[in-house]
Amino acid sequence: MKDTTQHMAMGGNPRRRSPRDPLGANSEIGRKLKQYYDDLVSDEVPDRFAQLLMQLEQAEPSAKKG
Amino acid sequence: MAVSQGFKTDLLGSIPSLRAFAVSLTQNADRADDLVQETLVKAWDKHESFQMGTNLKAWLFTILRNEFYSQMRKRGREVQDSDGVMTARLAVHPPQLGQLDLKDFRVALERLPEDQREAIILIGASGFSYEEAAEICGCAVGTIKSRVSRARAKLQEILKISGEDEYGPDAISAQVMASSPTT
Repeated sequence: MKDTTQHMAMGGNPRRRSPRDPLGANSEIGRKLKQYYDDLVSDEVPDRFAQLLMQLEQAEPSAKKG
Repeated sequence: MAVSQGFKTDLLGSIPSLRAFAVSLTQNADRADDLVQETLVKAWDKHESFQMGTNLKAWLFTILRNEFYSQMRKRGREVQDSDGVMTARLAVHPPQLGQLDLKDFRVALERLPEDQREAIILIGASGFSYEEAAEICGCAVGTIKSRVSRARAKLQEILKISGEDEYGPDAISAQVMASSPTT
């Protein structure tokens, strides 16, 4: 389904946040959404994940090759 | 083929975003981290199916999301039934414009149906395009757009900030939105 004509107000190019973007910088919802998310992203990553990747790497059967 | 160092480094680098998305979906830090762990293991196992040069973050988000929904099915969607409880518990005071509390926002976000919550997170916070979000969710671009739109309307309703558009340059888009199909 082509829907380029639908919801024009949602913005044509989602990468470029225009002032008409309903989740852009002029929107309270948009700002809170980013604040909420950035808060989560900047949360410190527990060690368990680095350890997990290390274990996965060691378990690789072909890890020693190449 | 062994997992390359580059792949491993990229995986590590994507963990903060994966955790943020996982928390957004599960609304629970412990479940979120289990979900991320599961995602990393799956990604590692099927790293050969990832095409270099394509969007690793989108690929990982897809794995995480699939894992989330398959866990939800196993759990019999126990979490979702709490909507009534959430509503009763929710007592959001009408915030002043621009003074919306982050905690209130989080509570409001929890009340959205999952499909709407994930859509508005992917578009409004994770920085994905509508096309990428559609791919991650396995649905049409138009579906993502309408979910985002409904999510936004619902958040405004819950948070009682429906009038915000009247004050900013967003007013024009609000008029355009208001005159489009839904009414």
